[in-house]
Amino acid sequence: MARAVPFRHFLARRAWLARLIVIAALFALWEVAARWFVDPLFLSPPSRVIAALDTVFSTRGVPAALQLTLFELTVAFVLAVAIGLMLGLAVGLQPFVRRSFFPIVLLLYGMPQVTILPLFILFFGIGAASKIAFGVTHGVFPIVVTVVAGVQNLKPILLVSARSMGASRWQIFRHVIFPHMVPSFFAGMRLGMSGVLLGVLLAELYVSIAGIGYFTTLFTQNFDPTKLLGLVGVLAAMAIVLNAVVRRAETHFARWRTG
Amino acid sequence: MMAGKEDRKRDRDALMSRIVQAGFLAGLILIWYLASTRWGVNRLLLPDPVAVYDNLIDILRSGEFIDDLEITLGELAAAFAISVTSGVTLGYLISRSPYAIEVFEPLFAAIYAIPIILFLPLFVLFFGLGPASKIALGASISFFPVVINTIAGFGHVDRLFVTAARSMGASDYHLFRHVLLPAALPVILTGLRMGFTTALLSIIGSETLASLAGLGHRIVHLAEAMDMARMFAYIVFVIAIAVILNTIVSTLEARGKRN
Amino acid sequence: MATAEAAIKVCGVSHQFGDEGEQRFVRALADTSLDIARGELLCLIGPSGCGKSTLLNVIGGLMTPSSGGVDVLGKPVRGPLPRDIAFVFQESALFPWNTIIENIGLGMTFQGVAKPGRAARAASALEAVGLKDFAQHYPAQLSGGMRQRAALARALSLETPILLMDEPFGALDEQTRMILGEDLSVLLARSHKTIVFVTHSLGEAVFLADRVAVFSARPGTIKQVIAVDEPHPRKPEFVTSAKFTTLRNQLYGLLHDEIRKAVQQTGLADATVQTGPT
Repeated sequence: MARAVPFRHFLARRAWLARLIVIAALFALWEVAARWFVDPLFLSPPSRVIAALDTVFSTRGVPAALQLTLFELTVAFVLAVAIGLMLGLAVGLQPFVRRSFFPIVLLLYGMPQVTILPLFILFFGIGAASKIAFGVTHGVFPIVVTVVAGVQNLKPILLVSARSMGASRWQIFRHVIFPHMVPSFFAGMRLGMSGVLLGVLLAELYVSIAGIGYFTTLFTQNFDPTKLLGLVGVLAAMAIVLNAVVRRAETHFARWRTG
Repeated sequence: MMAGKEDRKRDRDALMSRIVQAGFLAGLILIWYLASTRWGVNRLLLPDPVAVYDNLIDILRSGEFIDDLEITLGELAAAFAISVTSGVTLGYLISRSPYAIEVFEPLFAAIYAIPIILFLPLFVLFFGLGPASKIALGASISFFPVVINTIAGFGHVDRLFVTAARSMGASDYHLFRHVLLPAALPVILTGLRMGFTTALLSIIGSETLASLAGLGHRIVHLAEAMDMARMFAYIVFVIAIAVILNTIVSTLEARGKRN
Repeated sequence: MATAEAAIKVCGVSHQFGDEGEQRFVRALADTSLDIARGELLCLIGPSGCGKSTLLNVIGGLMTPSSGGVDVLGKPVRGPLPRDIAFVFQESALFPWNTIIENIGLGMTFQGVAKPGRAARAASALEAVGLKDFAQHYPAQLSGGMRQRAALARALSLETPILLMDEPFGALDEQTRMILGEDLSVLLARSHKTIVFVTHSLGEAVFLADRVAVFSARPGTIKQVIAVDEPHPRKPEFVTSAKFTTLRNQLYGLLHDEIRKAVQQTGLADATVQTGPT
């Protein structure tokens, strides 16, 4: 029964393929626009960017800058998770503490932190410390909020049931409250990673003597869109990978939610 | 109905929470005051709150803020207008086909997960340091929550409503105006609110990073001039503006949802 | 009525929520007394809000009554008695992040069962409820009926002399209830536990119980206790017998007015006792 399956039907069952086609089409559009329509001083076609990637990496200081950024991101994320988890548990477990301090947490969460970016630099200097600190302040809030929510929305019947079986307070925390909170915690970590990425990159782009911010400024001032696009592309790829890793972890630990 | 013992205890708890909150905030301000005046923290790092207050009053009274505020709000309005029209239109069009939703929705979600602020140097290279680059960035970033929520809103209208309306003879236009739009509106309004908030943050952020004017730039300028008291005053001012705008938008969202 | 010492003695238990004059004041139970013999299955039945669940929680030590007290196996109840009493709730109280076998294991952890004995207990409990093949499943993967079987298995694995069941089949459909009721009867006939079973269903009460305690509308008190003299395990044919119908009608007669009263009290649209078959 050899009958050619129409391409449309083939595509209909493979949404990921359609997505790739869309992305390829966008790249094609970019290529065409950059080659024939836009001044090469402002935009470079992807073909040239990819070809020139090795020059980006061989520019003195760029690999070190990328490593530094990765370092800042990792440290900031670990700190944000640790602080966020502790604060979240402290606030979430005791109803009185939650009622008093959670509104303050929400207030700070909604604050436009970028206004105090210059302050962070003044306080922590222009080195890695300020980047890490700014990343932590961006990443910690979603984690606190989701941990509190995870502790909060526990069905009361589960606590009653545990109590009826003779569970001690510690047993209730370890076997009931904590496992219940884990999926929310991982969702919070996903948002926390986005926050850390934003904070660290913002600080880097603001002022940087050896980090990627230095090079983005350099390439911009030199009107070198090829290298700039290359560097930005690498950073975007880094962000995508980090997000994917955290999302994987989230799906793994939240298995029981969907059964 | 007389207030019983239980009700009075609940009110007392709520009052205690408020007292703790107020006390916490008051305590912070007190520490700030003591740190800058008595405990010898460098004035170049931490200005004393009274000086900040004086500067704030001066800024407001002299109307010095007006030019910068105009620029920032202008950029915000333009960016938001662009992201709303493109986001809602594209979102609606995509929502019409479940296959399109399956293809595009993950694409948008994945891009939104990257800190798009990363592309600011590209926009600056292309548009220069003027308002255009900020508008372009703000529109790019706030586009995503709008389009994602519009797709979700229109895409998840219960098929039951559509079937019921069609069985009563509704035309395409009727269906849109009386079934799809009201059903999707709450989610779309949330997307608009999120788009507004992110546009505001992005604009202030990009002004901080690379600009010649606007509120974000003003803060940086004062930081570089080491005029700490005035800088703090502007930070307070910008946060207040952000809070006011966000409150207005949230209220509009709630108002719209109620109808 | 057993001549031996009663397993559970309820003495003059009253309970109210809130204080007089408060909006949320409700007198749930009024001066309720009852003796439950060892090895008997007693059903508590009554209109909504009559305090049956409250009484169950008081017996189980999850709630302290406003007045009166309960003795369980000769000891006064002052808190949960995990070694003596196991609960099965209406809402699935299985921990969703654990598999069925892990849920059972956790119950034994809480109770304090030594590690070596656990596997055997868990296996036999699962076997008894017919879920042997589902040990590694998560609750979300099971149907409502299977989840309640699992909840029962967890309670059985705790090997307590007393089982308190609060409308365990309340959230299930008619057919599942019927099957589970028959299986439960077979299971309990073998185990000789003392069971207090709260239900809304007339048929379920007559089918399962040795005695049925009928509650009045709020404030709840025991109106009458009816005996069902039929050997365990109850056969499916019992349901269609004349004795069953007589007893069921007797319950209906006792309850109908109380239900009406309860509906007026709360204005609920359907605070009804199921009067359908079984």
